[in-house]
Amino acid sequence: MKIFRMITFQYFNAFTNMALDEAIMEFVRKDISQPTIRFYGWEPSAVSIGVFQGVRNEVNLDATKNTGVDVVRRLTGGGAVYHDRLGEVTYSLIAPLEMFPTNIIESYRVICDDIIFALKELGIDAVFSPINDILVNEQKISGNAQTRRNGILLQHGTILYQVDVEKMFSLLNVSDQKISDKLIKSVQKRVTSVVDQTGASIEDLKKALVMGFKRNREIAFGDYSEQEKSRAQELVKERFNNEIWTFRL
Amino acid sequence: MMKTNSITRKFGKLLCLDVTYGDRIESLKITGDFFLHPEETLDQIVTELTGVAVPIQKDVLIRKTRYILDSNEAEMIGISVDDIINTLEEATQ
Repeated sequence: MKIFRMITFQYFNAFTNMALDEAIMEFVRKDISQPTIRFYGWEPSAVSIGVFQGVRNEVNLDATKNTGVDVVRRLTGGGAVYHDRLGEVTYSLIAPLEMFPTNIIESYRVICDDIIFALKELGIDAVFSPINDILVNEQKISGNAQTRRNGILLQHGTILYQVDVEKMFSLLNVSDQKISDKLIKSVQKRVTSVVDQTGASIEDLKKALVMGFKRNREIAFGDYSEQEKSRAQELVKERFNNEIWTFRL
Repeated sequence: MMKTNSITRKFGKLLCLDVTYGDRIESLKITGDFFLHPEETLDQIVTELTGVAVPIQKDVLIRKTRYILDSNEAEMIGISVDDIINTLEEATQ
């Protein structure tokens, strides 16, 4: 069994976060880096959009600029996400494809089961909801997205610690609907968070996630290599903090 | 005369088409919150569909688009080839 490197929670800006994922993918593919599970936050808060989304359709660019919120296009599909600095824990899992089921939904399920285990440790009963969500009583607590390239799987996702729906709506464009109290209440009913469900602290959530991802894997705690950090900074310039990439759709 | 249309449909995931067309499809943008592995396959699909005659020949385009997916061993999640081509037909009517 291959040993995973686990990198505990650190803050980075949006561009570096996404670039680290891609850099690690490259080094895992070359067998220079171990399969990796990393936990991270977003400093400053950011909006990430899916690889196939139109940035102007999804993001209120005036609002993000005025509030100092970064905007980044991910490598993965899925929807636009507001990543509040204090509101979530994000993870990425990067590993050779052969370590996970070929069936994409099944591979989502395997990884999401680790998050469900972590939430259970906090007293939260959550379930996997295909394609890529984790729900508590029909309310979303975690969204996940995956890409597969050159034999490497990357899945990243957020676990909501606390949600500010009004802030989220001020930054994301909600299709053809004005932000109304009714709409905010409607979304509040569809989204939940650890704070909504328990009295757990964000540190409790981080510890539980480490336990969840460790339980079926051999893990060695580690950090980013100098090569990975250096490559990530190249990718920040070439791609993730580059308007050609961000505004390509 | 050129027409433009923007159409969004919800399948398993959202699919948005922005199309400019006259006798042929002049430009096409496919966006949404779906998944497609490998992601670069979408550029090939857009290239294939750009320039085709309007009204579109749905069966032919479904076959050609499926071929692109098969030849790239690509997997689309949240939308299907039929969803793309049916929405394209709707957008160009």
